[in-house]
Amino acid sequence: MSGTPGEGRAWAWLDHLQAGGTTPWARWSAEVPTRGRVLPGAQQLELLRRLNLAGGVSPRLAQRVLGASAPGRGRPDLELVGATEVRGFGWAPVDPADLPDDELVRVATGLVAEDVREAAARASDPAAAAPRTARPVLQRVRTAWPWARRAPAYRLAGDPWLGSLWRRELAAAGRPPGGRAPEVLVLAGPLSVGLAHTWSARSAGVDGAPPWPQWLAATTERRHVPRPLDVAAVADRWATRVGRERVRVVVDLDRLPAVVDAPVRPQAPRLSGDAVELVRRVGVGLGLLVLPRARQELLRGVLVPMLHDLPSATAGPRLVVPPEHHRWVARRSVQVRAAVLRAGYPVLGDPDALVDAPDALAEAEGAPPSDAAVLDLAVALLRRHDDRGATSPATPTIPTTREDER
Amino acid sequence: MSQRVLLHVGTPKTGTSGLQDVLFRNRERLLEHGILYPAERFDAHFLAALDLMRLPWGGLETEAFGAWDDLAAQVRAHEGTAIISHEILATASRSQVGRALESLGHRADGTGAEVHVVLSVRDLVRQVPAEWQENVKHRSTITFERFLEQLRDPARESRIATWFWGVQEIPDILDRWGHALPPERIHVVTVPAPGGPPDLLWQRFTRAFGLDGLELDLTVERANPSLGAPETALVRRINQAVNQRLEPADYRPLVRELLAHRTLSQRSRSPRLALPPDVHPWAADLCARWVEEVRARGYDVVGDLEDLRGPSASTAWADPDAPSETQVAGAAVDAIAALLLDNARLSHEEQRLHAELAETREALQRSYLRPSYRLRERVVGRLQGGRVGRAALGAYRAVRGRSSRSA
Repeated sequence: MSGTPGEGRAWAWLDHLQAGGTTPWARWSAEVPTRGRVLPGAQQLELLRRLNLAGGVSPRLAQRVLGASAPGRGRPDLELVGATEVRGFGWAPVDPADLPDDELVRVATGLVAEDVREAAARASDPAAAAPRTARPVLQRVRTAWPWARRAPAYRLAGDPWLGSLWRRELAAAGRPPGGRAPEVLVLAGPLSVGLAHTWSARSAGVDGAPPWPQWLAATTERRHVPRPLDVAAVADRWATRVGRERVRVVVDLDRLPAVVDAPVRPQAPRLSGDAVELVRRVGVGLGLLVLPRARQELLRGVLVPMLHDLPSATAGPRLVVPPEHHRWVARRSVQVRAAVLRAGYPVLGDPDALVDAPDALAEAEGAPPSDAAVLDLAVALLRRHDDRGATSPATPTIPTTREDER
Repeated sequence: MSQRVLLHVGTPKTGTSGLQDVLFRNRERLLEHGILYPAERFDAHFLAALDLMRLPWGGLETEAFGAWDDLAAQVRAHEGTAIISHEILATASRSQVGRALESLGHRADGTGAEVHVVLSVRDLVRQVPAEWQENVKHRSTITFERFLEQLRDPARESRIATWFWGVQEIPDILDRWGHALPPERIHVVTVPAPGGPPDLLWQRFTRAFGLDGLELDLTVERANPSLGAPETALVRRINQAVNQRLEPADYRPLVRELLAHRTLSQRSRSPRLALPPDVHPWAADLCARWVEEVRARGYDVVGDLEDLRGPSASTAWADPDAPSETQVAGAAVDAIAALLLDNARLSHEEQRLHAELAETREALQRSYLRPSYRLRERVVGRLQGGRVGRAALGAYRAVRGRSSRSA
């Protein structure tokens, strides 16, 4: 099949990338005869090059990348500059190296979403499941029959992200929430942290969330803090159901394992802001593959544990509130503490920890999510899933009760 | 395998809703003539297109999982001609086009199904205002001026520009969909210029889809009618007021269907949407270049490519960003009247349902008063009072297998 020299160069570059090459398009000069129906888009080719730069991928993943289109609306697959004749219509061809990272993230997160769905399907296949580590008999009994334990029953409310992480950790440690006449523990912390956590929970939730800056701007336009962060109101709602004497506010999370009588001391790992942004964007792609409730279960039960295993996803900068919102956060956090003290619920820890002092907000270290870091994480996840092949991931067992939204 | 597949891929605002309505309602009659229009529901091809292109659409995408593969399987299983039609297919990427053609039985060596691509087209002079209106009817609050700025930005980075050019740039759509097909299998149907015979477009569709001579019911129940400038301005203002509070599932029936389609579109005497005089030359020039490009490619043109040049600039242009407030008020009164009437209808329905519920409750109460029920209720209450009784009750319910176990 004949073609222009530019097309021949593009097909040769495709061969190079499929063989694991990393040379940028601008420095590529070799040609081969053209073939096939169409060349993949610049986004797909550049993503494959980035994967190769990170250490290479299997032929199967390379094919998936080249055949993927970014889910949702946005720029279409773009032509390589110099590979096609100049047309008087359509999108201008690009040098793939000049593409914004966001374009590559769109394609990559669509592929990660497929991996997450596939990993969950594999985990639910008993034949392919990895052998489970044997747990002590007592722990297994407690997990299977919570009512059989002697420890007091409990439920977690308040901060939705902390609640989700601790439920998972405590369930794994044989102390799942539930039981008869439970004590309700309202998890709380500084409002600035709670806001980041609420956004994280919504990003990994049924409906998804807008990006952090937009979500925060919309939140601080309102008079009230998000419902799960209004600690006194959450405690009041539970008090009407279980009685005031069975509601406690937990500010000092280090004391939580002792309160719930956990046989081990779980350390709920945290995710960087970039990792949560990746969760949010994978959620967009996953929403086109599974129903909303399943999306939440896959994000929290499969993707988040995958990220916990990725050092760069836990070591990155945490989310901080940008300066334009400091005043709102500081003022509302004082109101939250005052409401808790006024309501009179017992507080485990120092209630002053609920307050965000302006100085502390100004000095907080962190950064908003960046497309470059999100892309790096997506590349790492794609490669890890590619390496593991049939390795079974964590089964999505995390409780996703409605408490998250309270 | 289908011997022939007619794949209608766009463009929006070219009479596609009317065509799809006729095809859907006549699908049994079409099948009698060996033509398959595979759809269990009216929007089946829309859902299939969402699935193929992995597009979110206000929650409808959750009804679309696997819809394309199902559609393609029905086409492959049919002996004869099959028709698929949805206008958002126009924005499919090259790899999605490749997947679609392959799934429908197309083979590069010519051994597979004979796939034809049909693209109905209309000039940009009419399409640009129509697309803005379509955006407004999908909750957008963007002004017409800002919309035009985004379309004319060469970078095309905005969400609106990427969508618009994806579904409206005719030569690019034909490049993506027609790359693997010979030009004689690409059919470009032009929408007639304003003022032509009302059934001329249908005649052109009939020719493109090979429906000549078939007796079809042409009563169109679902159309996508247009609004005038003040009516569109009113809907944009309504969007600004309710977007934060009205869920998509409520917006669609109330604003889009009840207000826009069923009420405001009836106001045909208000000024029509049109391009501003200073933007008209840009659109006309682009159309002229597209006409030459399409002509040079040798496609089968159904109609007249000159239709694509569009009407001349309007002498009395009405700016929808600064509409006549009197006209907007008139439209608003019509909207309020429609909402009141609909509210009254719902209120009557609510009363009827209340009455029905009261009757049901009464019947239920009567059944509770039967001696056998009261005896059983007493026994269950007694058993639930003790541990042994509860265990016995649990065992009984487990054996019986009734859902009352959790009660």
